[in-house]
Amino acid sequence: MKRVAETLTVLVLGILVGALVMALWGRDPWSSYASLLSGALGNTRALMSTLSRSLGLVLTGLTFAVGVRAGLFNIGAQGQMLLGAVVALSCGLLRLPPGLHLVAALALSGLAGMAWALPVAALKLTRGVNEVISTIMLNWVAHWLVLYLVIQKLSDPILGQRTFTVPPGMRFPVIRGELTWALVLALATALFFWWFLWHHAKGYEIRAAGLNPRAATAAGISVKKAMTTALLLGGVAAAWAGAIQVLGRFPYAITSDLANLGNLGFDGIAVALIGRNHPLGILAGAFFFGTLATGAAKMGLRGIPIDMIYIVQGVIVVFMAAPEALRLVRLRRPAAKAKEVAR
Amino acid sequence: MADNALLEARGIAKVYPDGTVALRGVDLVVRPGEVHGLLGENGAGKTTLTKIISGLLPPTSGEIRWRGKRVRFSSPREALRAGIGMVHQHFALVGPFTGLENIALGEEGGGALSPVHVASVRRRVEAIMRESGLEAPLDVPVEDLPVGVQQRVEILKMLYREVDLLILDEPTAVLTPQEAEELFSVLRGLAAQGRSVIFITHKLAEVTAVTDRVTVLRRGEVVATRETPGSTAEELARLMVGEELPPPRARAERAPGREVLRLEGFTVPGPAGKPAVQGVSFSVREGEILGIAGVQGNGQTELVEALVGLRPWSGHAELLGKDLAGRGPGEIASLGLAHIPEDRHGMGLILEFNLAENAILGRLRPFLDPLGRLRWGKVYRFARELISRFSIQAPGPRVPVRYLSGGNQQRLVVGRELSKAPKLLIANQPTRGLDVAATRYIRDLLLRLRDEGMAILLVSADLDEVLELSDRVAVMYRGTFAGVLSREEFDRERIGLLMGGVREAG
Ligand SMILES: Nc1ncnc2c1ncn2[C@@H]1O[C@H](COP(=O)(O)OP(=O)(O)O)[C@@H](O)[C@H]1O
Ligand SMILES: [Mg+2]
Repeated sequence: MKRVAETLTVLVLGILVGALVMALWGRDPWSSYASLLSGALGNTRALMSTLSRSLGLVLTGLTFAVGVRAGLFNIGAQGQMLLGAVVALSCGLLRLPPGLHLVAALALSGLAGMAWALPVAALKLTRGVNEVISTIMLNWVAHWLVLYLVIQKLSDPILGQRTFTVPPGMRFPVIRGELTWALVLALATALFFWWFLWHHAKGYEIRAAGLNPRAATAAGISVKKAMTTALLLGGVAAAWAGAIQVLGRFPYAITSDLANLGNLGFDGIAVALIGRNHPLGILAGAFFFGTLATGAAKMGLRGIPIDMIYIVQGVIVVFMAAPEALRLVRLRRPAAKAKEVAR
Repeated sequence: MADNALLEARGIAKVYPDGTVALRGVDLVVRPGEVHGLLGENGAGKTTLTKIISGLLPPTSGEIRWRGKRVRFSSPREALRAGIGMVHQHFALVGPFTGLENIALGEEGGGALSPVHVASVRRRVEAIMRESGLEAPLDVPVEDLPVGVQQRVEILKMLYREVDLLILDEPTAVLTPQEAEELFSVLRGLAAQGRSVIFITHKLAEVTAVTDRVTVLRRGEVVATRETPGSTAEELARLMVGEELPPPRARAERAPGREVLRLEGFTVPGPAGKPAVQGVSFSVREGEILGIAGVQGNGQTELVEALVGLRPWSGHAELLGKDLAGRGPGEIASLGLAHIPEDRHGMGLILEFNLAENAILGRLRPFLDPLGRLRWGKVYRFARELISRFSIQAPGPRVPVRYLSGGNQQRLVVGRELSKAPKLLIANQPTRGLDVAATRYIRDLLLRLRDEGMAILLVSADLDEVLELSDRVAVMYRGTFAGVLSREEFDRERIGLLMGGVREAG
């Protein structure tokens, strides 16, 4: 309850500061906000578009959150997402019956995400390499690798600005408008993460290891295994975020500038922070983020300066993410905490 | 206003930023030339009160008069300048510097460590040492000194600054009985010179041994101020605790059974290549408590952590005939070892978890279904059972353990460890920081478990606790056992000497 009140407070603060920015820009903040909202939620089509945009954010948000639960600062979702997208796309080259084709693409894409998380775990646990460093490096490797594949190997022979499109039998069926059944995948994954963390022994161990590794170790929990599990699960979720961009959204391909994959992986960090690293909060956070993104795109179409929109969006997100980010920083100083408690 | 007061505190209240009410209007009068005891249970507010007097914390309300004048110190430095100095439980010394340098460092102005200045400091400190009888080596880096000697450096630092009021926060916690005796005579000497001392303790015997008057604090309030001569220990105990406690459990006569734990040449590496535990050998049998006494920091922590699988070690160790070499904490626990860690918050509990989640830490298996799912119903039932069986004061099994008092947190840890039905229980400082009632509860429980046949390894820096509970006592000094005594040989003085590193002849 306290957290909800806190979230609403920072939301209002963010909106006010955003309004200030727009006012300084010489724009009327309230009409701009109104057009943002109507652009994102004003009608069924807009709403479906917003929802569809949110799904990938749910998944990358989960990646970051499960890392935090294990005591990790895992920012590798971006690379895993890119890789997941390209693997899902490549499955379009296989000849498989409809339905099964989709399942196979998801399975292979998830495996690719795991494979991209594995070195992070291995380096951390055998060599003590901080996951922030290794994930940043792997993100770049994935970026250039995927870019190469998209441009050199998978591009559409006629339309150079994107890859070939995946066959219809491999796509998520449409529910309505832009929204496809990828919705179910995102929701089910969030539900699974919640269940796993709070109802499964391994999830309990992840949370214990993340909150107090010393106590967890003393209790016979392998912190290394817990971290590895969290990294691998996160890899799957991030890869699926990429996969559903390809299998569940127009243009069912990857654009040559990777723009339709965007910064999903990094945005997931903000989503997780807004959602307090809880799967339910992440659903809300992703929807909120999706609303801003869709609304901003629509505002841009109405001739409102895109830079301003990004700034306002950024301000609101920073405000929303700040409380949890601060908590994380504080939690990461165990010495200070122990001292405080010991008195 | 009280006449003849050096220090007078009136109506001191303190609310910490987190809302904890530590003091609720406390009055304290210290006369010149007296040793004034401040007696109270853990958490009574003794440290908070003296931190306020010495300028480290601002009071929420209330006023302080020093030599009749109203004062408001905004820093310890100001208080020190006025003549009030405090020696904290955690010393404020610079490890790599010598005692002399540490004493000179405290002085204001530049050039504190210039050779000329240091030489003049040495002359004065040596004079103070002769006068007060408080001796400490001045040219050894303080980090190489035993804690008891470090404390003397701290006190010398204050005497060098010519304080008229010296505040000592639980000074005997790090001392052997002999060192404590020496400290007491130093304090009496200071009082005879007309200086005053506030002596904080929660031990009654120390109050009667050294103080002239005593103020008893309970839950942030003064319950009484008495002249020490004429007050009995029973009376003071009642004032301090606020209730009558049942007499301690009597120990049953019982012969120890088969050997449960055996160590031979057990060595644990410490920092900087020096072993923290060096070739220790002992065994613990069913139905006996082996107590390990010693001043903290002599290898006890490392010994225990190695035994439970948290540190590498060499030598030989077996539990019920099974070699412990190469086994991790989980595996060792499953052989029948339970562990009450000294660091409740860092190792015993996960403060953000709720009571039920903590109740199954280290023992998940009975609460899982074949698919590894947690059966929360069973977990909560078990947690409620622990709450009632170990009299844990808690609103329910869903409360985050952060919000429990230290005593109730410890009951939870103990209850959980015992639910593992261990063959060997390692209790490391099991009552540290607990109030009298919780302490009594834990001690009685350990004795009962021993009577019922459990093997218990008790590590405690509290000599009274070790002597009360143990069947045999090993004294640990610098990583080795300075001696192992059976109950008939218990003798505070002899154990005190062993704690201080004086070896038995022959
Ligand atoms: N820095 C702090 N913040 C919040 N509460 C504190 C702090 N220090 C002490 N307390 C609380 O204030 C009370 C009195 O503590 P303290 O003065 O240390 O007692 P004592 O020294 O008698 O054991 C306790 O309940 C303790 O938990
Ligand atoms: Mg204290």
